[in-house]
Amino acid sequence: MIDKKSLQWIAWVLILPVLLLRGFTTIYPVIKTVFNSFYDIRILSGVNEFAGISNYLNVFKDQKVITTLKFTGIFVVVSMFFHIILGVGLALILNMKFKGRRFLRTIVLIPWAMPSVVIGMAGKWAFNNDYGLINDFVRRFHPDFQLNWLINTGSARAAVISLDLWKDLPFFAILVLSGLQFISSDIYEAAKVDGANAVKSFFYITLPLIMRNVLTLCIPFTLWRLTGFDLVYSMTSGGPGEDTSLIAYRITMEAFTNLNVGYAAALAVLLFLVMAAFSWFNMRFMSRFED
Amino acid sequence: MNKNNDVKYKVYRCLTVAGKWVLFAVVAFFILFPVYWIFISSITPPGELFKMPIDYLPDHPTLDSYIYLMENVGLLAKIGSTVLIIGVTLVVGTVICVMGAYAFARFRSKAVSAAFGFIVATMLIPEVVTARPLYEFMQKVKLFDTYPGLIILYISSVIPFTVLILRNFVSEIPVSLEEAASIDGANFAQRLFLVVLPLMKPAIATVCIINFINCLNNFFTPLYYANGIQVLSVAIVQLPLRDNMYGVPWDLVSAMGWIILLPIIIFVAIFEKQIMDGIMAGGVKA
Repeated sequence: MIDKKSLQWIAWVLILPVLLLRGFTTIYPVIKTVFNSFYDIRILSGVNEFAGISNYLNVFKDQKVITTLKFTGIFVVVSMFFHIILGVGLALILNMKFKGRRFLRTIVLIPWAMPSVVIGMAGKWAFNNDYGLINDFVRRFHPDFQLNWLINTGSARAAVISLDLWKDLPFFAILVLSGLQFISSDIYEAAKVDGANAVKSFFYITLPLIMRNVLTLCIPFTLWRLTGFDLVYSMTSGGPGEDTSLIAYRITMEAFTNLNVGYAAALAVLLFLVMAAFSWFNMRFMSRFED
Repeated sequence: MNKNNDVKYKVYRCLTVAGKWVLFAVVAFFILFPVYWIFISSITPPGELFKMPIDYLPDHPTLDSYIYLMENVGLLAKIGSTVLIIGVTLVVGTVICVMGAYAFARFRSKAVSAAFGFIVATMLIPEVVTARPLYEFMQKVKLFDTYPGLIILYISSVIPFTVLILRNFVSEIPVSLEEAASIDGANFAQRLFLVVLPLMKPAIATVCIINFINCLNNFFTPLYYANGIQVLSVAIVQLPLRDNMYGVPWDLVSAMGWIILLPIIIFVAIFEKQIMDGIMAGGVKA
């Protein structure tokens, strides 16, 4: 009825604004970035010449990028590990039937809704040695505790990861919760009759049923970690050295601060390829998992 | 015997309820305490902020930090530009996304479906990949550091999620409603505006609420596509530094942070249900 051929033009009139806007901000810039990645463009020294694949080869010799990749790897793996463990835990808490449930579900939205830069700036101060919230807490138990978190590699990395978890864990938990709600309580009743305790019914009923949901969630959450920028920008500026620099932060610095545009483009293309490969691989894996 | 079992059951019940409230307290503390700390820092006089241990109930609460932000940092102008950009983005963005979503749901030709697939797929493109060329392009067409330029980029950033959610919603509205209307003589525009649009109200409210939060969170766009126009999320990282390079003007940062947090907390408290529905429907990233 509505799908008449003669009405197709109306569809395109309705679609055109979103399509044009989205196309304008993605198609041309992506093509231009791929193009730039084969050129040596350094605005500060006025260089602009064809460079073949040398930008790509330089990536593997660049100590800064290697350190960045190392932290990006640590960041993704550690953060995702805790996302899964604590996220499922928090989802179970949010799913408990008791009077505080609605309040709890409301406040977990606060970290999700807070801008990362606000969290990053607060984190910079919270992990300050002299006046920070964290050390104030620790000193209530160990009065002589001294640690300048953001100056040392290990503790700075831990600080960045823990703030990332503070912001995104509730969001992960809400999405796990949406899967939990589909499990009917009849199954638990039946298991109880058969003598299963709470721990057993978690491992034999809940976990298998939400496993697919949780693994699917890991795809976008991993991609978001790979492109993380705001938190590091506002909290550590990648320091000490490059030890807390994430790849998206490194690319942006090359593109906008060092004005090494060709090299930044090559890094961006590599990041994009890694993300595409990761998504493709996971989609394949998930479809096999389904069978 | 029976009575003994009864007591056992009651104790068990009490312990379960107590356990739930302990978990509740732990989660609530982890989330709310940092937020509370930002708040009390913003009303503590700067002198009292730089001491240990932290005074969690300030002795001399003051609004000095907020007044300083208003007088010296141009807080009101920054709030104004944030509201302007987000307001226009929400209105224009919602209108064009409703149009697009309706077409994507009701016209299923190959080309239309491909266009929809393209819009959803662009969600995967990270900002850093498009940033530099887009930055140069915006400067060339004189949209850099202008309201229209920023609004175009903000709208573009909300399109994939909004179109996806609204299109799925329209798909669930029975076509028979529209068919009945057209038998009664309604033309295309009447069907869209009088039949479908009223039914879409809850979905539109949900995407508007979530897009409001997403726009408030947007940092990369206003940081790199503007200089003079400062929105709140950028202003907080560019507050005038004092003391030394590594110091944080925590009194001002906490006040600015709280100005961003207040509307967020109010929003979350009022629209908890809509936000939950929206998140679960689309898995939005803020």
